[in-house]
Amino acid sequence: MSLLVVENLVKTYPGGRKSPAVEAVRGVSFSVEAGEFFGLLGPNGAGKSTTIGCISTLVRPTSGRVLVDGVDVTRSPSAAKRRIAVVPQSRNLDHDLTVREVLTFHGRYFGLPAVEREARADRLLDELQVTEKAHAKPSTLSGGQQQRVMIARALMHDPQLVLLDEPTTGLDPQARRVLWETLRSLHARGITFILTTHYMEEADRLCQRLAVVDHGRILTLDTPAALKKTLPGAQVLDLWVRAPQPLAPRLREISGVQNLEPVAVGGDGEGLERLRLFVDPADGLLDRVLRTVREGGADLQHVNLGQPSLEDVYIHLTGKDLRE
Amino acid sequence: MTAFLALLRRDLLVARRNALPMLVATLTQPILVVLVFGNLLPRMHLVSAEFRAVILPGLMAITMMMAGVQGVLMPLVQDLSGTREVDERLLAPISVFGVSLERIVAGSLHAAAAGLLALPAMMLLLHEAGGVVVRPAWSALLPLTALCGLLSAAFGLTLGTNVQPRFAGLLFAVVLGPMMLFGCAYYPFAALTALGGVRYLFLLNPLTFMSEAMRLAVTPEVPHMWVPLLLAGLLGFLALFVFLGARSFRRRTIL
Repeated sequence: MSLLVVENLVKTYPGGRKSPAVEAVRGVSFSVEAGEFFGLLGPNGAGKSTTIGCISTLVRPTSGRVLVDGVDVTRSPSAAKRRIAVVPQSRNLDHDLTVREVLTFHGRYFGLPAVEREARADRLLDELQVTEKAHAKPSTLSGGQQQRVMIARALMHDPQLVLLDEPTTGLDPQARRVLWETLRSLHARGITFILTTHYMEEADRLCQRLAVVDHGRILTLDTPAALKKTLPGAQVLDLWVRAPQPLAPRLREISGVQNLEPVAVGGDGEGLERLRLFVDPADGLLDRVLRTVREGGADLQHVNLGQPSLEDVYIHLTGKDLRE
Repeated sequence: MTAFLALLRRDLLVARRNALPMLVATLTQPILVVLVFGNLLPRMHLVSAEFRAVILPGLMAITMMMAGVQGVLMPLVQDLSGTREVDERLLAPISVFGVSLERIVAGSLHAAAAGLLALPAMMLLLHEAGGVVVRPAWSALLPLTALCGLLSAAFGLTLGTNVQPRFAGLLFAVVLGPMMLFGCAYYPFAALTALGGVRYLFLLNPLTFMSEAMRLAVTPEVPHMWVPLLLAGLLGFLALFVFLGARSFRRRTIL
């Protein structure tokens, strides 16, 4: 049996006098096996955090059910909480305690005997490279260090499933890479993770299977490699152009162009269009595309040819750029 | 139960570290009131000597009420802030009701400690304390202090979970201020017969029962409320505020 089973999960936040009701999750089902690194990828407001909240008992589902190791989280929350750990999106370390106390008290909450919680706290501080901060207050730590302490705290009671809610949001690229390494080595030791993120690279590097979510629904679910294979064409040709007349219909007719998707260009790109061509590489293809652009009287600003990425999968599925 | 005790232990550790500022915050006001009304005014013969014996238990009750409310309110503001430190508690293997109950017990210990510390401090400050019949009956004082502490903390939880932090100042002006003035702290309930039927309105104020409880325990000579009514009032308000506080705590924390 799967370690985590989510069945037809629905969460609607009731509206108030001034706010309409919000359907945050609209029927989500998936399961996660023990030892897996599973990802929920989607933009802000897609329902990722609400899904994590329902699994962790902090959000009450409107309908549907969640089983962790066979335990229904709504019916037996305390038993479920022993099996899971959460690394939340906001840094919520207990600011009245020292870093080491944060860990030992977490162990106490879960009834770990003194010897065990002391030893485990020291080991985890060491593993997550925060030993030197053991006696500091959490507020004096950098964002990356606080994040590592939160992971250490999560591991204190030896959970079967660790939920990571956007763990690298707000971290600088260096700290993000350090955290990825940490997560990878913990996963290699057999810990099961569920990660939410809106970073493609993060999802691609860490997750073995990935659910792409938007508007409270799962659009697709597979391994990153399989998701990329669902794209038409073997390569992606990205064009940024300023064109007096629409180019897309003419580009579509070129043989070797499997599909074309216009992508919204945000910011100050006035008149700038981004056209994403899914192509099969063939002799003269690039030449034919460039000729068509020239014949259309368009001004080619930038061009990029590459392997399809998760971002392409995302754009293909939702028609929007995650970074916009 | 393990998680409950562990949370309590954490709160006591933090309270011990912040003990000095917390005690100064809760004890300063009642001690100064004792200094003025129990020492300066009797010396000037502006109030009768009996007044000292009347306000002493009343001020103990006020001290406990304020300490209990603050003891719950302050951590609650941090709990429910943007970073939601409360989630760490809610993720411990304990029910949401258990988490709110632990807050009440921790707050009640704060309130009881403040009340019991206020008593000797006030007795020292009273003018001619020897003339006042202050005879703490410990067998009554300790359980009543515990009960009053729980009631104050449960009231604090009810307030804290129903009021936005930015209105906390207003809370003291509109709720706690009038409560202190109309809570039989500065006059015994028995003396309210002078007001006729209006005196029953005072029974809507939980502080009335707390003041009378302290009067019973500390100054047995001063007339106090009929004991069954006193206990019914304390327990009734305790049950009401535990129910209301725990219910709104759940609403505020579990989405």
